[in-house]
Amino acid sequence: MRNMIKKSPWISIFNASSCNGCDLEVLALLTPKYDIERFGCVWKSSPRNADILIVTGPTNGQTKNRLKKIYSQMAPAKKVIALGTCGITGCVFRDYYNTRQKVDEVVPVDIYVPGCPPRPEAIINAVVKLLKKL
Amino acid sequence: MHDFTIPVGPQHSSMKEPMCLRVKLDGNTITDAWMRLGYVHRGLEKILENKTVIKALYIAEHTCGICSFTHSLCFIRAVEGMLNINAPKKVNVLRVITAELERVHSHLLWFGFAMHEIGFDTLFQYAMRERESILEVFERITGNRVHHSFNKIGSVRYDLTSGDKIFILEKIKEVENKLPLYFSTVTKNKVIHARLISVGIINQFEAKKFGLVGPFARGSGVKIDVRKDDPYAAYKEADFELVTEKGGDAFARLIVRLREIEESIKIVKQMIKALGDEPIPKPLPSISLPNAEGYGRVEAPRGENFHFYRIENSLVTRGKIKTPTFINISVIPHLLKGKTIGDIPVILSSLDPCFGCMERIIVVKNGKEEVLKEDEFRYKYC
Repeated sequence: MRNMIKKSPWISIFNASSCNGCDLEVLALLTPKYDIERFGCVWKSSPRNADILIVTGPTNGQTKNRLKKIYSQMAPAKKVIALGTCGITGCVFRDYYNTRQKVDEVVPVDIYVPGCPPRPEAIINAVVKLLKKL
Repeated sequence: MHDFTIPVGPQHSSMKEPMCLRVKLDGNTITDAWMRLGYVHRGLEKILENKTVIKALYIAEHTCGICSFTHSLCFIRAVEGMLNINAPKKVNVLRVITAELERVHSHLLWFGFAMHEIGFDTLFQYAMRERESILEVFERITGNRVHHSFNKIGSVRYDLTSGDKIFILEKIKEVENKLPLYFSTVTKNKVIHARLISVGIINQFEAKKFGLVGPFARGSGVKIDVRKDDPYAAYKEADFELVTEKGGDAFARLIVRLREIEESIKIVKQMIKALGDEPIPKPLPSISLPNAEGYGRVEAPRGENFHFYRIENSLVTRGKIKTPTFINISVIPHLLKGKTIGDIPVILSSLDPCFGCMERIIVVKNGKEEVLKEDEFRYKYC
């Protein structure tokens, strides 16, 4: 465990037209019950300071380019987590007029976390796997 | 002195969800503010079209993650009204229990976030800790933490066992025990007073003029609550107080929401007592609907939630969803004028906005009649 935590990545979250469910579960990670700071992760609002970007929801007309922009603002050695079934496949919003592309067609994705919404334990698992990759 | 226009958002610290706010500044004072929305627009009403009622129920629930049960309850109220189904008392009681627990969880989330905005992170962590105990209840009684999928047409998915009842009472007791601490902190702490009192004032007359709903209107002394005005499910049997405050500022809204948590816990306790032993009915296996139109309205944690549906050939052909945030957000530019930059997060969060709910509309302005590519449009207008 101690060997694993050599880095302490900061996490930023971007809501690309998600229904809030996934964002709530990311929020739950900050609470005393799940407490992601055990792994050295801190939630940051600005993507410029962050190493890991969590993207929730399918992209729509407005957020698609915004997501590209935010990804380019991040420092190199950046990792992306696509959170929730919406971001991975489009879920119920797939193929409708305002839904554009899946997250991995817009920016490169390192880890997919399926679920509607995924449980906080699953998100912690994904973050820990990324920690090993960094 | 020059006027500056600065953008706040769409990716910003004061909210999880994207919204672009532009404020015009004279020194540190806001002289004008306008919003750009549509970052969470997914076209939900279009998705609802040409779906069977059973499929549409799940899609209606995915409007929003915070108040997902309220949306499904609203859908159920519309469809059961069309079919003339009167759900048995026990089903209604179970729905009220879940809806009120959702109100507790939503208000705790808001309370935590409002405290986070003014830099009081200790209370944020406390509130989120209590919220987890409500989510544990949800997981036990409905099977899911966020999207519950608990409602069925004419029934609900699971019944409560006697163990569940004890579990719910234990968990809401935990929340109830912590509430006096929150009240005393909020009413005594001078930092909270300095940040919240007299910020974002809207009086009763203006609140009515803007057509505000929910705790936002009740903070200005407007007595509006669908649970009292048009009782649905088992709210007729519930004995609770319609909470109003007279201040009309961010602090009054904070007190309204905290007191509503108390009232909701009271309702849950009453409903658990009223729960009978009879089994819940099985949901209808296949439904062939008459061609009809119907609407439902319920009190979501943020205010009145309204759904309208038209059904032809057993398919939903038109759905219209009107959510409380959509009504309340219109007042933001009005509230921001004359305030300072530091007040923006407080005023925005005192509204308790929920963009997942709200964004089902895009306004296209075509006054100048010029054709622009996407990048040019961005360069010119964003």
